[in-house]
Amino acid sequence: MILYFIFRRILWAIPVLWVVATVTFLIMHVVPGGPFDKEKKLPPEIKANVEAKYHLDQPIPRQYLLYMKGLVQGDLGPSYKYLGRTVNDVIGDTLPVSVQLGLLALGFAILFGLIAGMISSATAHSLWDRISMFIATAGISTPNFVLGALLIYLLSHRYRLFPPALWEGISNAVLPSIALGLAPAAYIARLTRSSILETNRQDYVRTARSKGLSEGAILFRHILKNAISPIVTIVGPLTAALVTGSFVVEFIFSIPGMGKFFITAVTNRDYPLIMGVTLVYAVLIVIANLLVDILYTLIDPRVKLQ
Amino acid sequence: MKRWIFLSGLFFLSIVLFLEKRPAGELDTKSVFRMNITSEPPTLDWSLATDNVSIRVIENLMEGLAEYDDQLRPQPAIAARWDLSPDGRRYLFHLREDVFWSDGKRVTAHDFEYSWKRLLDPKTASEYAYFLYDIRNAAEYNSGEIKNADQVGVKALDETTLQVDLKKPAVYFPSITTFTATFPLRRDLIEQYGDRWTEPAHLITCGPFRLKEWRHEYRLILKANDRYYGGRPALDQIRFYVVEEETTALTLYETGYLDRVALPPVAIPRYRNRPDYLHAPFLRGYYYGFNTEKPPFNDVRVRQAFSMAIDRNEIPRILNGGEIPATSWIPEGMFGHNPKIGLGFNPAKARALLAEAGYPGGAGLPAVRLAFNTDPTNRLIAENIQAQWKRNLGVTVDLDNMEWKVYLKRLKEDTPQIFRLGWGADYPDPDNFMNLFTGSSGNNYTRWKNADYDRLISEAASEPNELKRRALYDETQRILTESAVPIMPLFFAAQNLLIKPSIQGLKVNAMDILHLKQVRRVSSE
Repeated sequence: MILYFIFRRILWAIPVLWVVATVTFLIMHVVPGGPFDKEKKLPPEIKANVEAKYHLDQPIPRQYLLYMKGLVQGDLGPSYKYLGRTVNDVIGDTLPVSVQLGLLALGFAILFGLIAGMISSATAHSLWDRISMFIATAGISTPNFVLGALLIYLLSHRYRLFPPALWEGISNAVLPSIALGLAPAAYIARLTRSSILETNRQDYVRTARSKGLSEGAILFRHILKNAISPIVTIVGPLTAALVTGSFVVEFIFSIPGMGKFFITAVTNRDYPLIMGVTLVYAVLIVIANLLVDILYTLIDPRVKLQ
Repeated sequence: MKRWIFLSGLFFLSIVLFLEKRPAGELDTKSVFRMNITSEPPTLDWSLATDNVSIRVIENLMEGLAEYDDQLRPQPAIAARWDLSPDGRRYLFHLREDVFWSDGKRVTAHDFEYSWKRLLDPKTASEYAYFLYDIRNAAEYNSGEIKNADQVGVKALDETTLQVDLKKPAVYFPSITTFTATFPLRRDLIEQYGDRWTEPAHLITCGPFRLKEWRHEYRLILKANDRYYGGRPALDQIRFYVVEEETTALTLYETGYLDRVALPPVAIPRYRNRPDYLHAPFLRGYYYGFNTEKPPFNDVRVRQAFSMAIDRNEIPRILNGGEIPATSWIPEGMFGHNPKIGLGFNPAKARALLAEAGYPGGAGLPAVRLAFNTDPTNRLIAENIQAQWKRNLGVTVDLDNMEWKVYLKRLKEDTPQIFRLGWGADYPDPDNFMNLFTGSSGNNYTRWKNADYDRLISEAASEPNELKRRALYDETQRILTESAVPIMPLFFAAQNLLIKPSIQGLKVNAMDILHLKQVRRVSSE
């Protein structure tokens, strides 16, 4: 049943990705400026050579067909900026780093968010609850470049607890994981709190309490399983967003991830790389949503795959 | 539920352990020099590299026929000496016999001939092919007009002699041979490995360092070349970290992870008095150009008035980078620099000229727009200049900023009335700056053409006598910045660096060329 469901979703994904690729291709070629426009203008014969090398002298429909033909074969094309390297190479080198950072940030967000949300719900309307929700709101509101700069200044420059940047080992991952994960953690905390409080009002919880079960047992055996559905809903797109890298966090902490290409590929007009990162993001969204749907059925037996 | 929590925890722990397996940060800094580069090198193929990051790495892996000394004069490198024919059109470069590639083969004149023809080959699509356009038939071969590379005026007469025939005399030609695009190449390796020939496993070089590791988007590690003809460098290793953010690089320097860093402008006042601070000129000019076909800048008096209404000394005060205010165009540190040339700040005369042109106090002047590419520095400068024009001329100028590639397209298709551009030296010769504004230059967006200027520039390029050459550049600079004024120079850039006291021998020059073979570390930190 699950396999059939997965197969159908993959089939649906193909036209979705085709639309994404086509729309991106069209937008790229409509935007003014080309990949080889530079401050030091190239002599016309050199520009002609360069454009011929990358088939940019061909009509747009032919360029589209050439690109699609390569895409079907899994070839994302050469990068116009990183000469001698293909888009497959560029993404292959950087995506694993973004995935590592994204998963660490996600782990931090879920762990911190769930614990903070559970504690907040247990002490609802108390001073502690108000303080933790205030911190959660501040976490959501603070841009991660501000947070990143604060973390570097305090925990690296001032107190030398962690390295300020680079990607050498676990100590390098701490500050960027917090910078990237704190806003989602705050959001998850607020969501967890309200979801638990709502579930807590259900009749079966009152029954469990009247039967004499401990609060811990009630929380972990009855409440959490049902309260977690809204959090699972956001984890899908959140995962895709985090594992494709954050331009700002990777920029500030000099992490060799994929995030920056969402900006730099556009400013460089590196058409194949723009297409490559866009498609990777689209594929990750499809996979993440698929996993979330499967996770629902495992958490809540009432939900059936259709 | 507990099982899921346990499995999730195990999953994240495995990521953590995987991360921890990576090599630890720099522990032993003895004989290692660490600095940042501001982006991933787009390529290490020196026929294709055009950006300063790639060039920074290549210039420590390789050498050419000549290299710069501390005063940016070309000196023999792989070429032990060169001879110039009496008519100035033929160079004979005599190569050293003790220069070897890192696989043990000797560097020969054939490697240079192959490299230069590959640079010019249309299939290579090299953006810097024009560097060799002074050579006979070079431009024709590159454009496809000539198909046979043997007709290009470069030929290896034997293993140690390279003959170069020029279209016309060019006194700066030895400077061209210091440039990375002209470094020798091994045909056998390029044919064997194709586009992958620059990966560490395949790359063979002949300079003071070899490429040991290239972790893309993160770090390059160079190690000392024991076979280098000039003797093994004092440094064992150079580590280039890709750190784009200026303040992150500064923090890495302050916390001991880097040995050299360029200061962001905002930090300069704080570090200016430290013993590790260094300030040096930079061969990069910043100017505003006028579209001399669009009113009101089709009138030279208006252009002169706008130029004279600016006190350029305000610019270093707002930018804080030690910039050098400029009224002339050849930068400080380059032969031909003359700060006395150009239109100085004279608001009274500026107002008089504007009135003479028919716009007293700015009345009746058509709407004027100043365009620039979006950047905080460009905006700071534009707002200051806008305020000065208002104050000193009574003229309101509107600002127009746009994204870089969009801006370049606009410059080409509909050049604004006033536009901002810069120029960095490809080689430290005034021809590189002055030929920008000749009638045939593709980088001249001003639409200004002057036959006298073009003729004088051509004469200066082939004039061997230094005094006469200097006089020619003085005359052309006067045309450019005083009488015709298609541009108004604003300032020359400067370098502001921090270098650890434990690093010795690091010489800073106005081209920002870093020859790390001279560097040594006197103690670990």
